[in-house]
Amino acid sequence: MMRTRHILREFDRALDALRSDALMMASLTDRNLQNAMSCLLDRNPELCVVTVLDEKEVDALEKKVDHDGVDILLRYQPVASDLRQVVSTMKLGSNLERVADQAVNIAKRSRKLSMEPELHEAFALGPLFVDAISIFRDSIRAYADGDVALARTLRERDREIDQMNRQIADDLTVKMAEQADRIPDYLQLLFIARHLERVGDHAKNIGEDAVYAAEAEDIRHPDNALAYH
Amino acid sequence: MPVKTMSSFEPNAHIGTMSSPTSPAESSPSPAEPAFKVNNLSIWYGEKQAIKNVSIEIPAKAITAIIGPSGCGKSTFLRCLNRMHELVPRTRLEGDIHFYGENLYGPAVDPAVVRRRVGMVFQKSNPFPTMSIEENVLVGLRLNGVRDRRFLNERLEQSLRRSALWEEVKHDLKKPGMSISGGQQQRLCIARALAVEPEVLLMDEPCSALDPIATAKIEELIRELRDKYTIVIVTHNMQQASRVSDKTAFFYVGELIEFGDTTQLFNRPAERQTEDYITGRFG
Repeated sequence: MMRTRHILREFDRALDALRSDALMMASLTDRNLQNAMSCLLDRNPELCVVTVLDEKEVDALEKKVDHDGVDILLRYQPVASDLRQVVSTMKLGSNLERVADQAVNIAKRSRKLSMEPELHEAFALGPLFVDAISIFRDSIRAYADGDVALARTLRERDREIDQMNRQIADDLTVKMAEQADRIPDYLQLLFIARHLERVGDHAKNIGEDAVYAAEAEDIRHPDNALAYH
Repeated sequence: MPVKTMSSFEPNAHIGTMSSPTSPAESSPSPAEPAFKVNNLSIWYGEKQAIKNVSIEIPAKAITAIIGPSGCGKSTFLRCLNRMHELVPRTRLEGDIHFYGENLYGPAVDPAVVRRRVGMVFQKSNPFPTMSIEENVLVGLRLNGVRDRRFLNERLEQSLRRSALWEEVKHDLKKPGMSISGGQQQRLCIARALAVEPEVLLMDEPCSALDPIATAKIEELIRELRDKYTIVIVTHNMQQASRVSDKTAFFYVGELIEFGDTTQLFNRPAERQTEDYITGRFG
């Protein structure tokens, strides 16, 4: 996105640093999701530790983004697109922290699963992983590039992920009835699918904030007729 | 000479000296009717054009802020709403301004009457230095020949209450107007403007010489006056414009670039020039 330089260069520097911290969070979160996937599909419990450690970095960066965002609001009292950039970057930070939380939850459940005999059904979560990581990356791209068209596609893709999650839950429920002794393990898979579905929700939220930052349009909850403003 | 009373100062009195005054009931503006309708207004000071073809409707009983860089014509625009710009020599005006449907620049219109209905508060508080607080508030009424002591006392208290100054000066009404603080002097000037019961208050950078506490008091006062008066405020302080106003107009080199709801303008300006100015990317 082309932006004219601010008269106060310090403001441009502060905003760039804020965005850069948020994008660093996004990179760590992306790695977290991949490690979580590897934890499950490659049965690699070592990566669970890495995921937990990365999440601590993400948590620390979330606090930094919040602190620096408030600092910018206090010092420069930005308006218009500048204000929207700061607000949406702070909201991005919150969403990224939650995505990283989901990755840690997945990794912890995967570690437990890796101590049990392999469940073939774990591989059924592969496409869900791929789609969740894909929608997450596109949401970050939409935010970073101000790509409103891309951001607007995320709602529909989140619905598809919801549908995949429902299908997986149905399949696992059948399996649980067939193989009652593995119910705890199937439940872990069920929860992992649920965590991935939540990643889709956060990616959709990030896309909505990207649209708000770029065009000041609130595209959240389009079917809700209630409006308080 | 007959003593003038309250009835002489009914709001909505006709601005034309040649026309017969209408009754308040007849001329009461509907809430939807704008206070000012400005059409294709251009103003020159000698050869220099200060306002270029501006058209705008300023809503009644609302606060309109005018923002823009120095020299953009915002003060000139404000002054032409009560014909004060005419006091500058070699001024020329084209276009028209209607005030509740009446042409403000019509041949029968008395500028003095216009200025009573459309009051002005200036950047620097300017109480009359030789007058007491009371005399400062009542000077406009006295110049108009009002002598009824009871009426004057009522109007004195009412004006000082409306300007949120009464509690601070009610025991010091005979003290010089210059003896109170800068912020109080500015509220005294607002009381003086209110005493003649204007319908509109024009404010030209009313807080620029005040500290933050005095500024906050004036801003709170402006919000309180909003129910009774149409207020147009020129300010360099964009945070102030976004805090106090309902509508904001952005002027640049004599042109009206954008006019709209304040929240909208400060969140999602329609024009690139507005965005560049309010975010500090101008020039």
